[in-house]
Amino acid sequence: MRKLCLATVMLATACGGAAVPQESLTAAKAAVAASEVAGAASEPNAALHLKLAKEQLAKAEQLIADGDNEEAASVIDRAQADADLAFSLSKEAGAKKEAADTHEQLQRLRKHQ
Amino acid sequence: MTMLRRFAIGLLLGSQALACSTPLPPQELLQARTSYDAASKSAAAQLAPAQLDTAKQTLEKAEQSFQENGDEQKTKDLAYIADVRAQVAVAEAGREQATRAQAKDDHDFRNQQIDALETSKSQLDVEKRARAEAEKGKAEAEKKLSVAMASLTEIAKVKEESRGVVITLSGAVLFATGKSTLLPIAQDKLSEVAKALKDQGYKSLLVEGHTDAQGSADKNMVLSQERANAVRSYLVSQGIPSEKIRAEGIGSSRPVADNSTAEGRANNRRVEIVVEPMK
Repeated sequence: MRKLCLATVMLATACGGAAVPQESLTAAKAAVAASEVAGAASEPNAALHLKLAKEQLAKAEQLIADGDNEEAASVIDRAQADADLAFSLSKEAGAKKEAADTHEQLQRLRKHQ
Repeated sequence: MTMLRRFAIGLLLGSQALACSTPLPPQELLQARTSYDAASKSAAAQLAPAQLDTAKQTLEKAEQSFQENGDEQKTKDLAYIADVRAQVAVAEAGREQATRAQAKDDHDFRNQQIDALETSKSQLDVEKRARAEAEKGKAEAEKKLSVAMASLTEIAKVKEESRGVVITLSGAVLFATGKSTLLPIAQDKLSEVAKALKDQGYKSLLVEGHTDAQGSADKNMVLSQERANAVRSYLVSQGIPSEKIRAEGIGSSRPVADNSTAEGRANNRRVEIVVEPMK
């Protein structure tokens, strides 16, 4: 019985099952790394999406290990979106801070003259 | 958010009452529609059109999945991704806005610095020019004065003292003994002096009358004052501004020579015109 089950799973993987979404997994991991470099951990909203992305990636890896590649692909897409958002939010926060600094400098210069 | 949830629940209950067969849009899809709608009405439409388009396409896929598969996990995943993509578009627009504002401020900052630099440079130029002119004016005035004084050395003794240039005229040439009326020849000499002093950059003139030690001190004092006054009046008549010239009687108190000899006494009888310099 157990043997049969295993055989069925193997057959499903070999014939009808989707391939391991290795490419999108690698891309999503790279996006997570990029958002970390961009400072996502220190920006509350970005940090939330960074955390979600990491959780999804862990979930996807588990799904792949379980052989559920199709479900894994969906979860990886979610992780990619969350990582991209974490990146954009970090960059936005950085740009806003720089803009505020420059603006303050300009105001100071104007007051000085 | 609460309103939205309430609306969703209302929708859920309402449509459930209407038809049990039509599946209800999952919470994720409702959220994605709201997010996309807000993003498409925000600055993202202009500043992050590519990201907004990605969100739109994902939302369309979610809607399609909902039509085909109902509220399965695939629909929920796509809807979630569409929601997040809409937020990416908004964040990218915010980033672009901040970058543009910074670029503008940066540009203004540089211009302001350049302006400031140019202003201080031109101020410096003005100061430099003014200083150069002042120095030139001073040098010219000094030259003019020395030329004028040189012309006076023929008719009077000219010497420089700490209080200024002192022009000494012999009393014998100016007045008859015991008198304070100018002799005709004195008028010629004083005209020369007035001419030389005209247009000179001095602060003021002081006319001092001096006598020898003969006679009473009081009388000498009065006489020296009257003589100084006479010289002053004449110089004023020759164009020296009256507010710039004073007269003072010194009497016999400041001799320059020995009062026991005739020659000494002659030297002591004198009028001194002190040209007090500008600071």
